[in-house]
Order: sequence, then structure tokens, then C-alpha cells
Amino acid sequence: MIEVRGLHKSYGSLEVLKGVDLTLQKGQVLVIIGPSGSGKTTLLRCLNLLEMPDKGSLKLGENTFEFQQPTKISQKDIVALRQNTGMVFQSFNLFPHMTAIENIMEAQVTVQKKPKAEAHKRAEALLAKVGLADKANSYPHKLSGGQQQRVAIARAMAIDPEVLLFDEPTSALDPELVGEVLKVMKQLAAEGMTMAIVTHEMKFAADVADQVILMDNGFIIEQGSPNEVFNHPKTPRAIQFLNRLSGQVDE
Amino acid sequence: MNDRQIEILLDSFWPLLKAGVLYTIPLTLITFALGLTLAIITALVRLSSWKIPKLIASFYVWVIRGTPLLVQLFIIFYGLPSVGITLDVYTTAVIGLSLSVGAYCSEIVRAAILSIHKGQWEAAQSLGMTRLQTLRRVILPQAARVSVPPLGNAFISLVKDTSLVAIVTFTDMFKVAQQISAVTYEPMVIFCEAAVIYLAFSTILSTLQNYLEKRLERSSAS
Repeated sequence: MIEVRGLHKSYGSLEVLKGVDLTLQKGQVLVIIGPSGSGKTTLLRCLNLLEMPDKGSLKLGENTFEFQQPTKISQKDIVALRQNTGMVFQSFNLFPHMTAIENIMEAQVTVQKKPKAEAHKRAEALLAKVGLADKANSYPHKLSGGQQQRVAIARAMAIDPEVLLFDEPTSALDPELVGEVLKVMKQLAAEGMTMAIVTHEMKFAADVADQVILMDNGFIIEQGSPNEVFNHPKTPRAIQFLNRLSGQVDE
Repeated sequence: MNDRQIEILLDSFWPLLKAGVLYTIPLTLITFALGLTLAIITALVRLSSWKIPKLIASFYVWVIRGTPLLVQLFIIFYGLPSVGITLDVYTTAVIGLSLSVGAYCSEIVRAAILSIHKGQWEAAQSLGMTRLQTLRRVILPQAARVSVPPLGNAFISLVKDTSLVAIVTFTDMFKVAQQISAVTYEPMVIFCEAAVIYLAFSTILSTLQNYLEKRLERSSAS
């Protein structure tokens, strides 16, 4: 499904990804964890080319890319890749001038060229799926953070992507709203949606992930099942990070 | 004020208002529409990655903003004929004012586009929308909202700036006021009367602007 080989990304002299390899099978859930600045968000954003890698390769379904400098990737190939990936952002990024249902219809109509009636039907079904059927005509500023993020998940799913990317989807939420978003994500995982998730929710990661990646300083330092990574980490750096996290949870 | 002045005041009201309605207002509307189109194109070009067009757009804004509108009108009307381009006074007025509106408003539009959070671009592009689709469907509608108040100011300035075209012989409201004043020798009465009519026009337009702002706020806000 997704295959990443030797991915490098720098901003000026700052090297953020220093050669990352990963494989994600169809229907699997990958959780990426790590301290801030470790490169986990950059890695996720490389998967739909919101960040253009400097070196390495990416295969996602039928879309394959070889990255080099100067970049020669065409806009057309980028758009094709993005139509196969959906992204959910930390800050929701709903379109504020459109209602919830219009947000979900937008890409179906402008990108997929579906008739409005069909897009509307699909959007209604997705809203029901995330438990917001009654909020179809609400503008984003009338919704709580948790509701906005659920609309954002529905919007990302509306283009029928092969994989959903989540960039810290609950980090901007009040604690009491985190649960409703995680619940929707768990449900998607149970239905066999392929997902890559950057998160700090360790319990959620342990419950849902098929594969966990721990990143530090631009490298993957631990990779495996949740049990392997959380309970039997091999590197001292990983042990330190996980101890600090569990320490924070206990406080 | 004596009887004669009152009579002049009343007699000149309709000619002034007529010139306002027939020339000042249409000139304002036409040049604002053309100028705004030019402003949006200029702003988009300046935000694009096309090097040469960007340079041309920046040069245009720099020159128009850095020189007096009156001097620009003189160059178009009195200067251009000497290089073989003769434009009538209407064309001169429309070109001169549109270029001016285009330059000033392009900065408003550019700032409005830049004020839209980059997450909006990313969200649209992550859905597979192209740059153009993102602009048209996501960025410009939001930028339009942000730019209504400053564009409203530019519009009201334009109502008043149209009076400059009287100096290149355009018979707008101000020109009619000058003509009446020249015959009656009552500049105080006539120019104050013209000022009151300009004030009425601007007031009506600012009321419209406020109404438009309120409506936009109600349908969005964030």
C-alpha cells in the first residue's frame, strides 16, 4: 500500500528526515510517535507531498515517485497522489465560509466532478457516520473543536482515499473532546481503513495500531507492534522518551 | 445669504446633481469595476512564481502609487498626443482612474490573500484541488470578506478623486460647478453645494458598505 525508501528532507541546513524507510499494508494502522522536532509530522506530510522530499522514493497504491534535486515532479502527479490520500490536520482547517456539508461536498464536486446531488448524498452519509447528521448546515465556527475535527475526518474521507493521514488530530482539542474524535478513528480502523497517525495519545496507539514507529532526530529508532515498541524498546533514547511520557501521564 | 445667492443655489442644484448622476457616479462605478479586476490580476501575479510578470506588476504598482494621479492624467491627456496617441477625455478619465484604483487595490487584495491561513491552502490541496481551484473556491471567497472594509474606503476615495478629471476638461459634477461659478461669481455658494452633493454620495455609499459588511459577518465570522 505505502512504501517509503530512504526519504530525506532538509529545510536549508536543517536536516529533518535523514533516511526513513517504512511499509504500510492495506487495512493497517500505523502510529508515528516521537518527541517534537523528531520529524514525525514532516514524514506524514511527505506522504501526500505537502512537503516535497529531497531524496528517496515513495510508492502509494499506483502512484510512485523518485525524489531528486532539483525536483521534477509534475503538478498533475501530485494532484493524482493527493486524490488517493486524505489528511486530517491538528487545527482542523475546515473552510469557514462553507457549512459542514458543503465542506464535505467541495472536493467531490470540484475535484471528482460528481453531480451535486450525488455529492450531497455521500456527504450526508459521512456526516451520519461521524455522528453529526444534525449539523449538516452549521458553519464551522458554530461547532465545537471535536465536532469540527469529525467534520474534517468526513471531508477527508469524501474523496474515497486509499489512506487517511492524521497529523496530531487531537492535540488542539480540550481534553473532554478528545474521546469523541478517537472513537471515530477507532471505528474507521475497525472497518479496515488504512491510516497513518501522528499522535501523543499512547493508550489509543496501543489499542489501535498494527505498527508503531518511534522517531527521533530524523531517524526511525523503534519500529514494530505496539507491544514491541511500548513494552520492549531496544534503544536507550526510546526508553528515555517512553519513560518521560508515562511519567507525564502518571502526574 | 441674500435672495440672489439662494436663487443661484436652487438654480444650480439640478445641473450639479445631473452631472453627478450622469458622469460622476457612472465614472466611479466603471473605473472601480475595471480597477478591481486589474487589482485582482495584479495581486495574483505578484503572488505567483512567474518572474517577469511579477516584475512588471510590481513596477506598475510602484509607479502609479508613487506619482500624483493628476500628473498621470496630464500625461495621458496632454502628453500622449505628442507621441501619436490621442485619447478623448472619457477614455483618459477611465484609463487614468482605473490604473490608479488597480494599483492601490492590488495591495489590499494581496494583503487579504496573504491573511488567509496557510492551513486553508493545505486543506484544499490535500483534497486534490489544484492551485487555481484552491484560489477560486477557498482563498478568494475568504479574502473577499477580509477586503470589504478597505475596498469600501478605496471606493469612497474614488468618488472624490473623480473630481480631478474636471481639470482635463471632463464635464463631471466639479466641472459643472466651476462653470456655474465662473458665470455667477459665487464660488463659495456653488462649491459648497457641490461638496454637499459629494458628501451625500459618499454617505450613501458608506451606508451600503456597512450593510454589506454586516451581512458578510453574519454569514461567516470565525
